[in-house]
Amino acid sequence: MEASVVEARASRAAALGLGLVLLAVALITIILLSMATGARAIPVDMVWSALTAFDPNSTEHRIVWDLRLPRTLVGVLVGIALGLSGAVLQGATRNPLADPSILGINSGAALFVVLGVSVFGITQLSLYVWLAFIGAGVAMLVVYSVASLGREGATPIKLALAGAAMTAIILAVINAILLTSPRTLDEVRFWQVGSLAGRSMEIALQVSPFIAIGAALALLSARLLDGLSMGDDVARALGQRIGLSRALAGLAAVILAGAAVAAAGPIAFVGLTVPHVARAITGPGYRWILPYSMLMAPILLLGADIIGRVIAPPGEVQVGIVTAFIGAPFFIALVRRRKLAAL
Amino acid sequence: MLFRSIALGSLAVLALSGAAHAEPWTYTDGSGQTVTLDAVPQRIIASQDAAAGIIPLGIRPVGIYADSPVDAAKALEGLDLTGIEIIGQAWGEVDIEKAAALEPDLVLAEWWDRNSTWSGGKDVVATLSQLAPITGVSAGDSIVGMIEDYETLAQSLGADLSAPAIAENKAAFETALADFKTAIEAKPGLTALAVYAGDDALYVADPAGAAELLDMQSWGLDIVKPEGVDAAGNNYFETVSWENADRYPADLILVDNRAESTLATALAQPTWTLMKAAEAGQVAEWPAFWLRNYKPYAGALTDLTAAINAADPDLTP
Amino acid sequence: MTLVQATTIAAARRARQNHATRVTLGLLAALLVAAIAAMLLGDFPVPPETVLQSLFSPLTGISNKGVDFIVLQVRLPRLILALLSGAAFGLCGIIFQTLLRNPLASPDIIGIAHGASAAAVFCIIVLGWGGLSVSLGAFAGAILTAVAIYLLAWRNGVTAYRVVLIGIGAAAMLSAIISYLFTRARLNEVQQAMAWLVGSLNAAQPADSIVLAITMVVILPMLFVLVRGLDGLELGDDTAHALGTHVERTRLGLMLVAVALAAFATAAVGPVGFVAFVSGPIARRLMGGAGRGFPQAALVGALVMLVSDLVAQHALPGTQLPTGVVTGAFGATFLLWLLVVSGRSGRVN
Repeated sequence: MEASVVEARASRAAALGLGLVLLAVALITIILLSMATGARAIPVDMVWSALTAFDPNSTEHRIVWDLRLPRTLVGVLVGIALGLSGAVLQGATRNPLADPSILGINSGAALFVVLGVSVFGITQLSLYVWLAFIGAGVAMLVVYSVASLGREGATPIKLALAGAAMTAIILAVINAILLTSPRTLDEVRFWQVGSLAGRSMEIALQVSPFIAIGAALALLSARLLDGLSMGDDVARALGQRIGLSRALAGLAAVILAGAAVAAAGPIAFVGLTVPHVARAITGPGYRWILPYSMLMAPILLLGADIIGRVIAPPGEVQVGIVTAFIGAPFFIALVRRRKLAAL
Repeated sequence: MLFRSIALGSLAVLALSGAAHAEPWTYTDGSGQTVTLDAVPQRIIASQDAAAGIIPLGIRPVGIYADSPVDAAKALEGLDLTGIEIIGQAWGEVDIEKAAALEPDLVLAEWWDRNSTWSGGKDVVATLSQLAPITGVSAGDSIVGMIEDYETLAQSLGADLSAPAIAENKAAFETALADFKTAIEAKPGLTALAVYAGDDALYVADPAGAAELLDMQSWGLDIVKPEGVDAAGNNYFETVSWENADRYPADLILVDNRAESTLATALAQPTWTLMKAAEAGQVAEWPAFWLRNYKPYAGALTDLTAAINAADPDLTP
Repeated sequence: MTLVQATTIAAARRARQNHATRVTLGLLAALLVAAIAAMLLGDFPVPPETVLQSLFSPLTGISNKGVDFIVLQVRLPRLILALLSGAAFGLCGIIFQTLLRNPLASPDIIGIAHGASAAAVFCIIVLGWGGLSVSLGAFAGAILTAVAIYLLAWRNGVTAYRVVLIGIGAAAMLSAIISYLFTRARLNEVQQAMAWLVGSLNAAQPADSIVLAITMVVILPMLFVLVRGLDGLELGDDTAHALGTHVERTRLGLMLVAVALAAFATAAVGPVGFVAFVSGPIARRLMGGAGRGFPQAALVGALVMLVSDLVAQHALPGTQLPTGVVTGAFGATFLLWLLVVSGRSGRVN
């Protein structure tokens, strides 16, 4: 009896581990595809020679080197950040609707970008990164402070409410600016969609340290999230420090989500749905949900970006739009077919 | 907004009541409707575009409603607005009480045939048409045509088009236009491409969707029409991936100048210079969608003439 | 049960009822103050006694054309529309939040408002429509989205959790459609669409209030009947089934009522942001467990709408903002403040 339980657990771990390996292979395949595919048809051998023997006079080489490489890198980084931050936020707030856009992180970032454009006339993407990052941090700080005031501290429901309320306030300010400043609207309407296009290597380098730190923090918080998932009272009875756990998880999430929105604009859907898909495969337990989310999100994001690049030649469709269009029906089908584990 | 049109039956009664014993005023507007008043209207509320059309012709409205803060409205740049009440500074918003206090006897806007609405949108129209009849020129296919429509309208409102300042502006425009045509003739084979540059893509304009581009085409400028767009079907721009920035070869690139940042965005793209014209610096401003009078039009043409004169017309086949 | 216990229970019930009455009266008083302000404030100066005279002019026959226009054609319809649409948003918000047992599950978050918005933006940008036809498009969009979400969530009945998840999927997809249309249109149409999306009372007309008033008169009695089936539902789907409540029928009925409220209000004033979302939690916090808070949520919605409109019209000299810009800021600030000050448990459901 005992032995069979242990055995079952071991074989489940083996299966899940194998799943992770398969996901990693899929991610590498997608990365290669992302280098080879684009609105402009470039033969694979030329892509290869662009990477190995760069010729600045070749248009194709410039496209691979200046456009596709940074774009792919940003896609992987942003995907990792979105998947992990979504999973962590849902775990920390125990709400299936929690994601960076509902908790005020995306809107905080958007507000600072909009203010930067309208007040200071900033229009370089590389400066948006810092604005977005600061905005995300400030918004999350305010949300967390508000939620943790009062007797019972930062309960999931107060976090969710405070986050959504914060989003409402910020959106109001953004709308007021956009409505009274058509120039800003013109500038921002493209940023707001969420896109990997036009992202330079500089941006990838700017955000990568943050994503590395955030990812490490997030993966380390798996045990804390598992504790929180039992409910605050149980977790507290087991000796977990609820407030600290939630703060740590929140810190990881804001670093990741801030970096993601800074690099690619507000892409809402990935962080929201990928953790649900991961949970449907792995079952509860953040030890598995987190790495699965971390690998699945960049696959979804880059895959969607590749489709967006080729679906409307000679143009492209922004990745924020494609992820929603592919992801949403898939997500809805999944919700219909499986009895999803409630949080 | 639901069933609002029901309420429109009672419109304009207020404005028509104070009839004076003067000559009646009649105007047939861009939508084909004829407005008749008992006297030439003196107190006019104008949309920002209509204001940009009539103020240079000596007709000063008592109130303006704009789509944005007036200092950000490109169409109103350089116009003297002192003494004019600003009754709206956001799209779709007017202060009905301020408007009523102005006791207008006419509202001037522009007719958008495609949307079957006056500029400012249906909400603004529903609000203002309770105070006075609304009329104006049609937002047509030629800026020059629109300016001429504004001249006719302004004349009926009492403008003296032979006044020195007004005649001077028109003469300056005609000189600029003649220079523009000469410059084009001197560069046979020169092609132009009108674009908006975004971080995510290059947007190539269909000249058929922009009145000033249609004007320039009629004056001989060869503007490339992108494929897959149809301004009539509300598809004004073709989205071109930055990977395909060199898709439409042209000798001169016209960049949308509604926002100064557009050019900076373009210059920041690694593949902007895949376009030979961009590489050679043959780039000029496109006064996109906002011209309504001769003075800025003359300025824009003069700048374009300089760019054309300096351009090598054989960069691209 | 001893006499003492019975007395204590009765006393507790009385205390709850007293609290509920106090909250209701407080909200009504606040609404009255705001309504008076709405009638008196404006850029067209009208002295208070003239406002009164104007209001009674249909009875007394004493009229002053210019002032009557401002009072009866501008301020009064705007006030009534603010009250009605605010109450409708507040009610539909709390119905969804209660049914789905999630304080985030208001129609402006789980896709129904997105359906209305996407339809309206499509009408404006692709079809080139304006005015009434956009409203009708939005109405159809809201209803279609709600039906689609419900049908997609149906699998031997619906569970709250599934509705919420499918709702956010639908919301994401509809937002993507809006964003896509935004990047393809000319700026003036984007502006027109933006203005619609924010929502405004600026062009309030008497006819709008009449349509909305009729809607409320038809729907409120239905709501009153349906709410009695709620006690079973709130305990959770399994418990409700076990209790034998007609779970599906009650839930479907309530959802239809809520969707109808959302659709009519949105068609009248646009998808004014977050009124539906904040009204429920605010009402619940004010009530502090002394009742379900439906009527109070309607009052809170009306108050948020009205005060926001006052701020939008008069706060910034020289600029009138669309009402929807302020509702989010005002309603949410109020909610944040309540979150901070309330020592009670954070439960909203």
